[in-house]
Amino acid sequence: MGDSQYSFSLTTFSPSGKLVQIEHALMAVGSGQTSLGIKAANGVVIATEKKLPSVLVDETSVKKIQCLTENIGVVYSGMGPDSRVLVRKSRKQASKYHWLYKESIPVTQLVRETAAVMQEFTQSGGVRPFGVSLLVAGYDDNGPQLYQVDPSGSYFSWKASAMGKNVSNAKTFLEKRYTDDMELDDAVHTAILTLKEGFEGQISGKNIEIGIIDANRKFRVLTPTEIDDYLAEVE
Amino acid sequence: MSIFEYNGSAVVAMVGKNCFALASDRRLGVQLQTLATDFQKIYKIHDKLYVGLSGLATDAQTLYQRLVFRHKLYQLREERGIKPETFASLVSALLYEKRFGPYFCQPVIAGLGEDDKPFICTMDSIGAKELAKDFVVAGTASESLYGACESMYKPDMEPEELFETVSQALLASVDRDCLSGWGGHVFIVTPSQVIERTLKARMD
Amino acid sequence: MRSCSIPCRSREQIASVSETSRTSNLVSLRRTNLAFGMDPSAIDAKGGFSFDLCRRNAMLMEKGVQPPSFRKTGTTIVGLIFKDGVILGADTRATEGPIVCDKNCEKIHYMAPNIYCCGAGTAADTEAVTEMVSSQLQLHRYATGRESLVVTALTMLKSHLFSYQGHVSAALVLGGVDVTGPHLHTIYPHGSTDTLPFATMGSGSLAAMAVFEAKYREGLTREEGINLVTEAVCSGIFNDLGSGSNVDVCVITKGHKEYLRNHRMPNPRTYVSSKGFSFAKGQTEILSSKVTLLKERVVAIEGDEMEE
Repeated sequence: MGDSQYSFSLTTFSPSGKLVQIEHALMAVGSGQTSLGIKAANGVVIATEKKLPSVLVDETSVKKIQCLTENIGVVYSGMGPDSRVLVRKSRKQASKYHWLYKESIPVTQLVRETAAVMQEFTQSGGVRPFGVSLLVAGYDDNGPQLYQVDPSGSYFSWKASAMGKNVSNAKTFLEKRYTDDMELDDAVHTAILTLKEGFEGQISGKNIEIGIIDANRKFRVLTPTEIDDYLAEVE
Repeated sequence: MSIFEYNGSAVVAMVGKNCFALASDRRLGVQLQTLATDFQKIYKIHDKLYVGLSGLATDAQTLYQRLVFRHKLYQLREERGIKPETFASLVSALLYEKRFGPYFCQPVIAGLGEDDKPFICTMDSIGAKELAKDFVVAGTASESLYGACESMYKPDMEPEELFETVSQALLASVDRDCLSGWGGHVFIVTPSQVIERTLKARMD
Repeated sequence: MRSCSIPCRSREQIASVSETSRTSNLVSLRRTNLAFGMDPSAIDAKGGFSFDLCRRNAMLMEKGVQPPSFRKTGTTIVGLIFKDGVILGADTRATEGPIVCDKNCEKIHYMAPNIYCCGAGTAADTEAVTEMVSSQLQLHRYATGRESLVVTALTMLKSHLFSYQGHVSAALVLGGVDVTGPHLHTIYPHGSTDTLPFATMGSGSLAAMAVFEAKYREGLTREEGINLVTEAVCSGIFNDLGSGSNVDVCVITKGHKEYLRNHRMPNPRTYVSSKGFSFAKGQTEILSSKVTLLKERVVAIEGDEMEE
């Protein structure tokens, strides 16, 4: 049994008005690997650490940043398996939208649908909340957009945000560095520098992932060589 | 008897220069008996988007109610007006959902899209879209409407000329169709105004 | 009515492959939705057909009314394999009974970046079935991270068509180039398929096949291939009444495709006078007129003009 009598069912509030399971889920996110996102004037970048349990793991098989649609990408902090469920559901939702309207889903709509799934899992019987927070980066008719979605199902639009292990340091760093007129290339540099701040060991194209989307509205995960080029630029 | 001939209808949409016209007859009948001569077949979705519904009147009205519901839902969710292209896809999806038990209704969709570009479209009762640059027709008078529009239409008409053309095409066509006519209803939509007119027509 | 004999499947069953493993938890989620007074089916359009009007429509048919005719693509669609890949071709006429309702429609549908599909039969069905499979292929590509295979598309299409026992009336020519090379297939409305070096479908298939049988050979160049496809489609356009207007061509090669919309236009409009009819203003008698002004879009005026 859990650590309090109110943790037996996640649909039960504790007397202080908390749903402890959601707080536990946030803890899972908080101990996950650091991810961050920055909205630039002409695009969005999302980035994450990719620390592997052993050097024996083939790092090319691990993909933490994924496409939801052609113009929307996502990164998670927390439990990888949980994120895959959300990615699958979000992609499905996006294709449903396309079936209905023959138009690609706007970022806000997809974020809301994803958040709705996460909310459902905080109020239904027999399930637990998702142990992930998501950063969703997209570019549509409303320009570049960055959203963070939390296990409770709440979501916000951010200019720049971070989540995971080093969240407070990373956010402080981003607050210092962020400017409204930042170009996408600067944003990638800032993203790398922010990751570098709390990074244990030598940062390289193999142990971080970066996804970008610019005005051509095609979300793209950078290859390790491209990341190495950016790394060379910031040093 | 085809089910479309139960109530009778004629709907036509035509594109002009930065504007469009959507016109219909006003008859509601039960086969050869006329019940009403002020029947509405063109409905407003929003300021710059209209839909004309031909076919079985009961299905047309039901479909209209569902379209209004879906449009309101879209507006609330997305906080923006629906684009005519998007709306056409929505109508098509709703119709195809009933592929094996269709609404006996053939819609004509006309609207001004982004930058006030006119859009017209029709589809069959199971949602096969037909996009046209010039004109689209539907209803029991569709055959004669095809003929009339094919010869009367010319590109880039100004609103007033478009009104005359679409009205004449409609009136000429319904004269050769027993099941439609008894008045005409024309909408001319331009970026700045909507002109709605009823036409004097043969009442036989 | 025939359509009533179709096995009625539930929403969940028809929903596409990746959701078939939906857990019981999610079923209970749906109920949660209902408890809030919101019927999800009212909003969820995807997820299968609705049969609510079947009973009424069957009753009407019994009383002797005719069901409506649907828009068909009478159609000549063709495809062939040439030296470097696949070429697909189609005419552009859509018909409703004997009436031509679209003189320039598109019959070559996108399936995946490396796969296209020509459709003949009921227009709504060809449109829907290709759209559905193309979105399934997209999801499959996301899941696997690889280019779609033509056989994957083929299997998805045929299993859908087979499950509807021919009631979804789409006759298709599927072509594409994937890691295993160029492929060309035909798919019949009941779900049977063929794998061929050259193929034709639709009401003009005989006319087009006659051309292919006479002139097709292995190892055609791109130029020869396009010409042969165009000739076959033209044969359909001129000899089959259900086909007409223009020729669309799509050339797919390894890593590249070219969609030649209206590649040939052998039937231009010549009969209409350039002046057309002109009507004097006020010629049409009007009973009533109402003008509604629309709100102009608010345009922000720059500082300089404000100061005046």
